Amino acid sequence: MAGEAGRRKVPVVSGSSAASPAGTASRRGRRARVAARTRLDFWFDAAILAGYTVAYSYGFTGVVIHEWLGIGLGIALLLHLTLHWDWVLRTTRRLFSPRGHDKLIWLVNLALLFAMTLCVASGIAISRVALPELGIYTLQGPFWFRLHALTAEVTVGLVPVHVALRWRWIAGVGRRLLAWRLGRWPR
Amino acid sequence: MRFLRQLAAAAMVVAAVVLIGLAWSRLAPRLPGEGPAGHAFAIRGRVVTRLPPGALPPPGAQRPSGAGLPPGGAPGIRRNGGSGIPGLALGDLLEPVNLVVLRDSALLEAVVIAAVVIADAGYRRMRRARRAGTGPPPPGITHGK
Repeated sequence: MAGEAGRRKVPVVSGSSAASPAGTASRRGRRARVAARTRLDFWFDAAILAGYTVAYSYGFTGVVIHEWLGIGLGIALLLHLTLHWDWVLRTTRRLFSPRGHDKLIWLVNLALLFAMTLCVASGIAISRVALPELGIYTLQGPFWFRLHALTAEVTVGLVPVHVALRWRWIAGVGRRLLAWRLGRWPR
Repeated sequence: MRFLRQLAAAAMVVAAVVLIGLAWSRLAPRLPGEGPAGHAFAIRGRVVTRLPPGALPPPGAQRPSGAGLPPGGAPGIRRNGGSGIPGLALGDLLEPVNLVVLRDSALLEAVVIAAVVIADAGYRRMRRARRAGTGPPPPGITHGK
């Protein structure tokens, strides 16, 4: 998830340069703003969470929405990984240092990467509507059906853990966004 | 440019995982917890009553309607009407019967999130107290009264 943004040295705020004479006066205003990248992370991740919850609820969506949403989630997963690639590299490098703080998060994220990727890939392999609609005929083997069911169950367990391990970042950004929207940022 | 480089790297990682999945399906098409013959399922007479998703019925067994569907079962399935546009039937989404499924998924996730947040907050508090050198007082001991 996007939690790593909260750990950056130049994180949650952005705005015009503070070096200008009006810098001091505008500093409070800048503080009230949430960085565009942070907002993107927050809302994009929220959309992925909501999307996965809906896609997992097969009885709610039906096969057509389930399949298209799953394909969309595959693309979103790739973008999410891209947006946080710096964190992946940084944390992987620090993994073997004795003071690596993010080992648990790294392991959960790795497991989630495997589970979600295999879930989407097996879903594509057993697609009955979306890909045949595009003229692509799929594998439909029993292995892929079972892998899809298994990885979906693993993913539904790991997604909330992945979210919850960054709850401080989510709570912080959520509070800032709410204050920003309401225009009631504390002075 | 940097984004494209990162996108390519992420795509390679995803492709590697997909390749692992493909190799798995070719070399050892068996999942954790499965016996050599796959999932066990009950057969009453010659009718398969509990067929796992995607599993083929044994020779001669009659396949009841709805067996072999993915988790969630048949109620939400919509078929392509043959017009080239999938029949979404979006109105069905708002039916209370279907909403229960969504509510259950959301509830499941909320419970796991709450459990992890409580555990993490407790762990952080304990670590902070240990670092400060004053651990939390043992249960049942109060100060001042």
